[in-house]
Amino acid sequence: MTGYEVIRRDGLARLSVLATPHGPLHLPAAVDTRDLFPDLANRELSNVPLTAPEDFARQYHLRGKGQPVTIHPAIEPDASSGDCIIVPGWHTALSNPRGYVEWLVRLKEAVPPDTAWYAPGTALPSNAHILCYSGFDLFDYTAVDLKTAQGRFCLPEGDFPGKVMDEGICSCPGCRESDLLQHNRFALERELALIRQFIALHQVREFVESRSRMTAEHVAIIRHLDSRNRFMEERIPVVRDARLGAMSGDALFRPEVRRFAARVLDRYLPPPGDVAVLLPCSARKPYSLSQSHRRFAGAVAGRAVELIVTSPLGLVPREIERIYPAAHYDIPVTGYWDREELSITASALAGFLSRHPCRRIIAHLDGGALQAAAMAADICEKEFECTGGDRPASDGALKRLSEALEGERVVRHDIVRGTLSYQFGVDVDTRGMAVRWKNLDLLVRKGKNPLFSLDPGTGLLRPTFEGWKLIPEGYRVIIDDFPVRGDILAPGVISADPRILEGDEVLVEGPQALATGRAAMPAFEMEASSRGIAVRVRKVLKE
Amino acid sequence: MGLNSWNTYEKESPGVMEKPLACWEGRDYYKDEVLPSLTIILKTGGCRHNRCRMCSYRFERYKEQTPDKLASLIISQLDWVLEHHNLEKIRMVKIYTSGSFFDPDEVPQGVVNTTARIFKGKLVVAETRPEFVESGRIGEFMAMIDTGEWDTPLTVAMGLETTSDFIREKCIDKGFSWQDFLSAARETHTSGAGVKAYLLHKPLFLTEHEALTDMEQSIRTVSGIADMISLNPCTVQRHTELESYWKSGEYRPPYLWSVLSLLISAPVFVTCDPVGGGRSRGPHNCGTCDRDIVDAIRDFSLSNDRGLLIDVFEKGCRCRAEWEYILSGEQPYCMPLSG
Repeated sequence: MTGYEVIRRDGLARLSVLATPHGPLHLPAAVDTRDLFPDLANRELSNVPLTAPEDFARQYHLRGKGQPVTIHPAIEPDASSGDCIIVPGWHTALSNPRGYVEWLVRLKEAVPPDTAWYAPGTALPSNAHILCYSGFDLFDYTAVDLKTAQGRFCLPEGDFPGKVMDEGICSCPGCRESDLLQHNRFALERELALIRQFIALHQVREFVESRSRMTAEHVAIIRHLDSRNRFMEERIPVVRDARLGAMSGDALFRPEVRRFAARVLDRYLPPPGDVAVLLPCSARKPYSLSQSHRRFAGAVAGRAVELIVTSPLGLVPREIERIYPAAHYDIPVTGYWDREELSITASALAGFLSRHPCRRIIAHLDGGALQAAAMAADICEKEFECTGGDRPASDGALKRLSEALEGERVVRHDIVRGTLSYQFGVDVDTRGMAVRWKNLDLLVRKGKNPLFSLDPGTGLLRPTFEGWKLIPEGYRVIIDDFPVRGDILAPGVISADPRILEGDEVLVEGPQALATGRAAMPAFEMEASSRGIAVRVRKVLKE
Repeated sequence: MGLNSWNTYEKESPGVMEKPLACWEGRDYYKDEVLPSLTIILKTGGCRHNRCRMCSYRFERYKEQTPDKLASLIISQLDWVLEHHNLEKIRMVKIYTSGSFFDPDEVPQGVVNTTARIFKGKLVVAETRPEFVESGRIGEFMAMIDTGEWDTPLTVAMGLETTSDFIREKCIDKGFSWQDFLSAARETHTSGAGVKAYLLHKPLFLTEHEALTDMEQSIRTVSGIADMISLNPCTVQRHTELESYWKSGEYRPPYLWSVLSLLISAPVFVTCDPVGGGRSRGPHNCGTCDRDIVDAIRDFSLSNDRGLLIDVFEKGCRCRAEWEYILSGEQPYCMPLSG
């Protein structure tokens, strides 16, 4: 038993600390694992390939007496919280993306979440990104040292003949001394340091998407993982306080993007109103702060339900435009929409309009967004009125829009009801609530009692104890019989609503305590971990 | 249906001669002499064990034949050999089957007798699994071929593969033990025949270093028991369990550097025919140095001149540093490191 604690997560990737006899080791990192784990010397003749069938694996699998604990995809792992896991032969999985993801998902689901994962003989500067993205934390120098023995010069972009070292590409101490071994190890360490930064920034996906473009297998791994809906859904935070870079077609299938679209369809409750206006997106987020949307707001004058048509999210209702990733995504705008974007956007729009039928739908759009709207109109067999022309923000277009809405009744957009429906899947009666904006902050009260405040970084509402009374069930974390002082640690959690994701607002309930806070890990980790902060507590109810 | 009846017709039609699975002439080193030799691989009733992970002869068999029919099919192959090879100049004959020459179910007694008649006076090497070694039958066969020309006219060859029971079981699934081999060797010697042991260098699931150590130990242990030792660097044959691991990057045949170092340091003369040498499915290095090393190994096997091996080993190659790193860096939990 060593000790292991995850400090910060970004999807499967994490910053963590492994307690070792030589002191704490901050991961992801590469070390000489034969020094760290003396028991590795006792594993002679123990090879069992990843593709070995179950009966062979059962017969010859060697768990190891000490650390690290060996696991194999064909057999039930025998590992506990705090262990370091080794997946033998993981380097052979890299050339088989389908198997890689199949095994990864099976093993990750079968092993406690608070375990360090060691991929032996695998890490190179050119693949460390995908290994960390897949939830591996610990590496060795075997693969880079082999490259050195082969006379290869390693960079994150790939490996090159040794003489490329003299081309001035790198100026590390190894390169200055023409020491290939030192350079190659340094290149791996540098890459891991960079990955640690991107995990800390909650931008590991963006980093991995950019790195992966050099290697087909890496892109394939990302795509296969994206297709693992349920597995990824549990592991991707509900919100981040960070940019989401949608720089390639792969972003359409990011779990964050798909979740947003799914919640808009399944959870979100729009304001009552039977006229919808479809608006184009803006570069500035939230959209309301942009020049164009100020003009649209003036023309609409509240007389329609405002829906913003955009790629890759599909559809962003005005009330929830502050929620991640609606206010956080960044996409190259060229005016060209590819077929995948058009089809995803059109089906999001058609789905929404079928669920929430409107008497009139006004498409104040141009270009690809208009094309997507036309496709949606076909799908749900509705007539859309078009007022956008070539330039929806032009005076002429705005005038057409305003005239089209002549005589329509004002719709009351309700950010509180909208956000709570998206966030908790509830329909809250907001009558009698007072909403006050103060710059980007929003405070919701009823009488003198504060109920909710808006987190401007993520767009979620933070309920007070009074606010939680309006959310009768779900998003509860049940803790053991102890008074709350500070954050809730995972071992103190008895159960948690399985819908809770990292970043969710939660209510902590125990025999001795009631507290509000934010989930620092998803529900399954709270229940299965014996270390780490489960809930960052904001307020404890004083009796 | 149609294909089956066609096959039956083909097999049963008179005048169609069966061909051995393979048959070639070569040279073999025997007691300071290079002998012209003939190697024959016969298609038979098939190996009774039939489970070895690297063996592709599993499908090479006559299925469900009566002993008489089987005998005539094999004898037809021997006729083919007589028709296509001039046996007069051949002095040594090596007979392999897809299993065991001395398994009476696989090779009926009539075939054994015919073989003895055809190759009478030659130095015969015949391969078998140890469970079919029985001094009476071996002695009878030897008596039939013996013309007094050779001290030991028959050598019984057995695929011991390794002296480690664990490796033979796990990595090969060979189905017999070191003790089984020892008993068979004793029986063979009792009958007056010689014993040849085949060792398999680097079966599945071994690091380069584990495989090297296994062969060093095996050569040392078996050298006092076998009269001849042949080192077979493992090759990847089609439709085998080994091939599927090789295809998924989980197996690599041994480096020729390992083969060289084994032959150089062996305490006794060990012959080696690096089949598939220099190819990705056979023992190989980087592709640059392979040819010279394979040639040196073949020449050594015909001369017992270790200088030939030492020359190519010392000449080196860029890939020798890679091999040296693999020996220390490759571990059971991260292997193979190279392709």
